[in-house]
Amino acid sequence: MSALVAPWPISLILEPEVFIPLVYPGLVVLTLTLLGIIWLERKLTAKVQRRYGPLYVARKLGGAAQPMADGIKFVFSEQIIPRNTDKLVFIFGPLLLFTFSILPVIGIPLSPGYTAIASDISLLIVVALVVIAPIVLLMVAWGSNNKFSLIGGLRDGYLMISYEVPIILSILAMAALYNSLDLIEIAEAQAGTWGIFLNPLAALAFFAAMLIATGRFPFEIAEAETEIVAGWTTEYSSALYMSNMGTSYTRMYVMAHLFTLVFLGGWNPLPGFLPASGLLPGLMILVKSLAVMGLMVLLRSIYPRFRVDQGVRIGWHKLFTLSMAAIALSVLLVASGVWG
Amino acid sequence: MRVKELGKDRRAETITLFIGPQHPGSGHLRLVVELDGDVVVGIRPDIGWVHRGVEKIAETKKFVQVIPLIERPSIIDSANMNVGYVRAVEKLLGVEVPDRARYIRTILCELNRIASHLYGIGIFGNMIGTSTIFMWSFGDREIIVELMQELTGARLTYSFFLPGGVKGDLPDGFEEKLEKGLRYIENRIPEYNALFIENPVTEDRLKGVGVIDREKAVQIGLTGPNLRASGVEYDARMVGEYGAYKDLGFKPVTRPEGDSFARLMVRFDEIDGSIGLIRKAIREMPQGPIMHERTKGMARQVLMKVPEGEAFSRVECGRGELTFFVVSKGGDKPHRVRMVTPSFRNLIGFETALVGHRLADVPTVYGSLDYFPPEADR
Repeated sequence: MSALVAPWPISLILEPEVFIPLVYPGLVVLTLTLLGIIWLERKLTAKVQRRYGPLYVARKLGGAAQPMADGIKFVFSEQIIPRNTDKLVFIFGPLLLFTFSILPVIGIPLSPGYTAIASDISLLIVVALVVIAPIVLLMVAWGSNNKFSLIGGLRDGYLMISYEVPIILSILAMAALYNSLDLIEIAEAQAGTWGIFLNPLAALAFFAAMLIATGRFPFEIAEAETEIVAGWTTEYSSALYMSNMGTSYTRMYVMAHLFTLVFLGGWNPLPGFLPASGLLPGLMILVKSLAVMGLMVLLRSIYPRFRVDQGVRIGWHKLFTLSMAAIALSVLLVASGVWG
Repeated sequence: MRVKELGKDRRAETITLFIGPQHPGSGHLRLVVELDGDVVVGIRPDIGWVHRGVEKIAETKKFVQVIPLIERPSIIDSANMNVGYVRAVEKLLGVEVPDRARYIRTILCELNRIASHLYGIGIFGNMIGTSTIFMWSFGDREIIVELMQELTGARLTYSFFLPGGVKGDLPDGFEEKLEKGLRYIENRIPEYNALFIENPVTEDRLKGVGVIDREKAVQIGLTGPNLRASGVEYDARMVGEYGAYKDLGFKPVTRPEGDSFARLMVRFDEIDGSIGLIRKAIREMPQGPIMHERTKGMARQVLMKVPEGEAFSRVECGRGELTFFVVSKGGDKPHRVRMVTPSFRNLIGFETALVGHRLADVPTVYGSLDYFPPEADR
């Protein structure tokens, strides 16, 4: 890795098999990013809505410690487990859900050679892990024994089958373009032109499907506050609720990383002061992912939410067509010899 | 029932959902919704959660003391509530309001209508998920509330109209502040248009949802902006028995569609209309007394004895037509005060507009009817 010989705990942490799941893009940076993005979401929304937003906790930083304070408050408030719930699912469901949501990060490489699982189908692995979580969500919704939760879970289920197809098809379009399913090769192939400029249709379909998958506005359908209270997470309180809330943002974090790697060139273009290998190119991924997440949370202040039937229709009519067109575009680009 | 048993119960083909009274989208109201899948097959509004017996309490108070009482059910629209009751008492007394007082009443009523519509639009926005429009309209409503405070001394419950006139004249420099505030609201309307009304998601959510056609609207007795959104040109201000609406040449806003979007647009257009009315009222306002001679002074108001008789008045509130029926037996307290509020009459719209729509349309129709539970419960 480097010429310096680091003492063993540090060199152990810097091993990709440890660093990727635990530090970045794994738990440590994830936690920090979630705190940051929640603050950013509230601050951006407040700016649009002519308010201050979080202000008083860490005043000099514009209230940046507010999510941390909220988190502490959540942990120390009473954990209520309602009677007549399926207790096993009620308690372990959110933890399982969070685990499945964070799991896809193990497939994300930080630079050529720096990856936790070296595989030539790492893109497929990440996508497959991303789409497991909604099944657990249905389970949690059912286990809550609450009609609002059940409706929220079913809404998420309906949306799941309508966003997964466009996500996978638009990913396939890009895979056809780069002639690879390996995220490292895909990112390296974008050293010149980013995927979003090569196939904007796929990028658009993926971005919209990503909004549905992560429950961002205008597709905040499964948690619609004024319709079904908080959807699948109605009965939750305290730390388990925080876990549920974190799950939603974690999914966004993971999807934003996937979007960065497939459409925004991953670590390319690499600025001169960063080495071309090791973990530091990951900084570029982080910066781009943060920008994608910022865009996703900004939509909250712009759009109302769709109905569930409209969401499903958009998935099947618009995004499905769009992602099929993206595949056609990719095939055209490759067949005509313009690319690849 | 245990979760396991619930899964085996095959009799349950519809879900009965209790929306409210503790629900983020319900207000002080319970909607018992019968759902078949995602489609509403039946809805029964259950009201009365904030009933406080205004009509009964009114019988124990002096005539002038009833004014703060009848304002409370709809504090966001209190001037219009106030004018309705005061008109009925004036009819019993047989006093005519001086011209200047009529104009001042019109100005405050229309300001309050703008505030009430902004409130309704904000809640509506929040119900379909856009918190921005909620914050914007509540923030902009503050401008109007400040203006009304300048005029009356109170932010929400003014008690500014007394039998025979108004409490005070326009304060010094009020015209300039008013014009500034109105211009601000006017400049904000295009921004609302861009963000909310022309937002494709808003149009998808509202157009064709909760349609109440013209015949049905008349048949079930809808009132106010909801009635006008179904194409019926009726407004209690047209009758012209209060305020200066006749002199100002008032024309109601109507829309033919009868859906949620039309109801929203009628409110937006009425804000424009109210701004026009206020400007005209300020320009054409005559000089003169603001209180009738017979009811002038605190002593006359408090010791007021009202001749025996019955009186009926109708006024147009932000949410529709408000009617008062006041009976006096010749004493200093009313024998009976009957108050029919617009929200109570609009409540029936839930049952008509919602059946056959989706669960997600429940808050849409709720917001579009601009239903305000305390006003209906009294």
